[in-house]
Formats: sequence, structure tokens, C-alpha cells
Amino acid sequence: METISILPPELIRMLIAVIIIISFLFLNAIMMGYLERKIAGHVQRRPGPMEVGFHGILQMVVDGVKLLGKELLIPFNVDRTLFRVAPLLSFTPVILPLLVIPFSEKLQARDLSLGLIFIVSMGSVNVMALLVAGWGSNNKYSMFGAMRAVAQSIAFEIPILLSMLAVVLMCNTFSLKEIVGAQQKIWFVVLQPVAFLIYVIAGVAETNRAPFDLPEAESELTAGFHTEYSGMGFSLFFIGEYTNMFIVASVATVLFLGGWHGPNLPYGEYLGVVWFFLKVYFLLFLMIMIRWTYPRVRFDQLLNFAWKYLVPFSFVNILITAVLVKL
Amino acid sequence: MPQPAFFLLWNDRIYGMVEMTESALLDYMYIFLFLVVGFIGGFTPFILNWFVRPKRTHLKTTRNTYECGMETYGDAWDYRYGVTYYLYALIFLAFDVDILFLFPVAAAFEKVSAARGIIEVFIFLGILILAIVYAWVKGVFTWERKIKVR
Repeated sequence: METISILPPELIRMLIAVIIIISFLFLNAIMMGYLERKIAGHVQRRPGPMEVGFHGILQMVVDGVKLLGKELLIPFNVDRTLFRVAPLLSFTPVILPLLVIPFSEKLQARDLSLGLIFIVSMGSVNVMALLVAGWGSNNKYSMFGAMRAVAQSIAFEIPILLSMLAVVLMCNTFSLKEIVGAQQKIWFVVLQPVAFLIYVIAGVAETNRAPFDLPEAESELTAGFHTEYSGMGFSLFFIGEYTNMFIVASVATVLFLGGWHGPNLPYGEYLGVVWFFLKVYFLLFLMIMIRWTYPRVRFDQLLNFAWKYLVPFSFVNILITAVLVKL
Repeated sequence: MPQPAFFLLWNDRIYGMVEMTESALLDYMYIFLFLVVGFIGGFTPFILNWFVRPKRTHLKTTRNTYECGMETYGDAWDYRYGVTYYLYALIFLAFDVDILFLFPVAAAFEKVSAARGIIEVFIFLGILILAIVYAWVKGVFTWERKIKVR
């Protein structure tokens, strides 16, 4: 009978956590959309969105309302089931990694003991969503985009796994909270610079962002796998992509940049969230700057870059780590 | 810890079921709740959209798939793709399964002696990296033009 008396507070905590996280997910997509357009504007020496609100700050809200009111056009020769399922399949799994991410010492929805593996496995579902979208659309552009997306995501998943392994070798746990706890004295970016670099490169590629945005290369494939999607279908892919970027950046923060650690603040176990978000948004800013600075690579260069450089380098990195840990 | 009533019920009905600790049960409840809320969060916009979407008449060509303004020619499902994608997928499959075995190794690495740990990791990764060398030598990573144009 012990459990039943414990459960209600835990249930309330559960509900609060899920509500905070899903509203944060939408908020993050809106902020990232605005930031990206503003930074893109300033990189190209134009102001970006300026009309709606102060410096165009409400532009994304207006756009959201517009997308909500659009007609959902379903072409006549698509696979209707797959076509409708794909946006949901892309959106639903992106909320799950946020369950285990430790925003600060006490602000974490649930500390799974296999947290890192959980994040990786949920991230892989996204690949299937892209394939389903591309295949279901029955459009040549979508199809090529989906094929490229799958080949690219699976190629860059291995460097990501290997660079995560290098960290796990050092702290021997998959629980994200304990990984951050192990960086109390020194951040792993100092001990594992190569793994950090590999993780960031592969993370940019895994989220299909420029310079690795071959799946949706506008100049050759129109919009890639979401060519046929309009209105809400498109915006769910869009929110999914931005949330994936946030997850990649926050996993990088947790594994390499010391999570919530930083100069001491009052109520440190809660306000560590400030340092966490500073680090995450710094990485996201970096990803946006990379997108608007570098030209797109060719597809064979992209795949061979993963297999010929990133994978061997991360293998050597793991071997060196394995030796150094034991010395 | 005393066994809660409804766990006992489960155990009686399904013989030999592994006892679930309370924290593991909570883990699954969290994951399931997030899954459901994620689905609802994705589905609600479609319902809202259903109320406010414009109702208009469609031309004959409105619902064609997009092909730069030309009439749609054939299904995309009939097209064939370079076999290179398939080869890349094959290497990935071999690698990913093997890297899965490295995860428990990494988690338990502090428990083995230094010499044994290092030697075994070297043997395992050495064999694994031969897969890349093999693919490299076989020319998977060179994208030649398969059809000769005269």
C-alpha cells in the first residue's frame, strides 16, 4: 500500500513537467525561427523581419497563425496513410529526449539510468519520419530528399555514437545527471576536444542543416522530403527540426560543456538552468552562423567525409581514451 | 520493501513475470505520458486547422504532385536509385550493431583490470575498423559514373 500513498505527488509532478516541456518546445521553435531569420538578415547585411512588433519580434507568431489557417492539400496520388502519419511521426518523438535532459541539478523531468541511449534511440525515429514523408509523397523531389536524408543520418550517427562512447568510457554511466556531476572539477571538452569537435560536426549533419542540408537542398530538390506538405504538416516538420537542434545542442552541453556548472549563483541547484541555457543557445547560435556562412557540400563528399575522416578519427580517439583511462 | 497490492496481482496472473520496482514503473509512466502528450501536441493543430481551413473548389490540376509546373509524369515509386546508397546502408548496419556492443563495455570499463580492458578493446575495434578498410579497398567510397557516355 506504500506506492499508492506516494503516487499522487509524483503524478502532479509528472503533469507539471510535461506541460512545461511541451510549452517550452513550441516557445523554442518560435524563438529559433525568429533568431535564424534575424541572424540570416544581419549576415546578409539586411535588417530581417522588421514590420510586426518591435524589430519584428512577433513575426513568428503571425506566421504560426497563418500556417494554422492554411488548407491542407493532399495530392491525389500519394499514399494517404503514410502522408498523414509522417508529420506526427516527426513531431511526437522529439519531445521524449527532453524528458531526460537535466536543465539544472533539480530541474530534470526524470533521470533514467539509460538516459543517453534513450536519447539516441528516440533521435533515430526521426530518420524514419523523413523516409515515410518522402516515400508517401510520391514526388520525385521528396523521394530523392528522403533517400539522401536516410543515407546522411545513418552515416553521421556512427561518429555521434563513438564520440558519446568516449565520454561514457571516462565516467562509466549513461545517466545524464551523473555525467554532468562527473564534470564538477573539469569539463569534458578539455579532456575530449576531438570528441567534442566530431560531435558538433556530426550533430550539425544529423539535424540536416547547412552546410550538410542535402536532403532539402532548395536549388536542386525544391524542398526535399517536405515538398508536398502545406500548412500544419510543414510546420510540424519545422518545429521538429528546431527541437532536434535544441536536443543536439543540449546533449553537447551535458556531455562536454559541463551542463549546469558555472560560477556560483544563489539557489544554485535551480538557477544552474541559466548557465545551461547560455551554453545551449551559444551552440545554437554557432549552428545558425555555420549555416549562413558556408556553402553546401556535394553529396559524395558529405558521405565520404563521415566514413573516411570522422569514423576513423573517432575510433582512434576511443582507443586513446581507453588507454589513458586505465593508466 | 513490502510488495504493493497491484504488483502482486500482475505476478499472480502472468507467471514468472519479473518484479517491477516502483522507480522503474515511474520511468515507464513518464515515458508513456510524454509519448501521449507529444502525440496530442502534434494532433491538436490539425484539428484546429480543420475548423478554420478555407473551403474552396479545386481545379483538375490543383491536386497534382509538384513538378515545376509540368504535368506529373509517372510515379516516383517506379524510379531506381544508385546502388551506392545500398552499400552505405550495409556498412552502417554492420557498424551500428557492433557499436551497440561497445556500450556495455564502456559502462563496465572501470571494473576490469587495465591490461585486459585495453587489449580486448583494441582487438574488438581493430576487427571493426577492418570493415572500413575493406569497404575502402573495394571502392565503395568512390562514386564512379556507372554508365559510360560516349
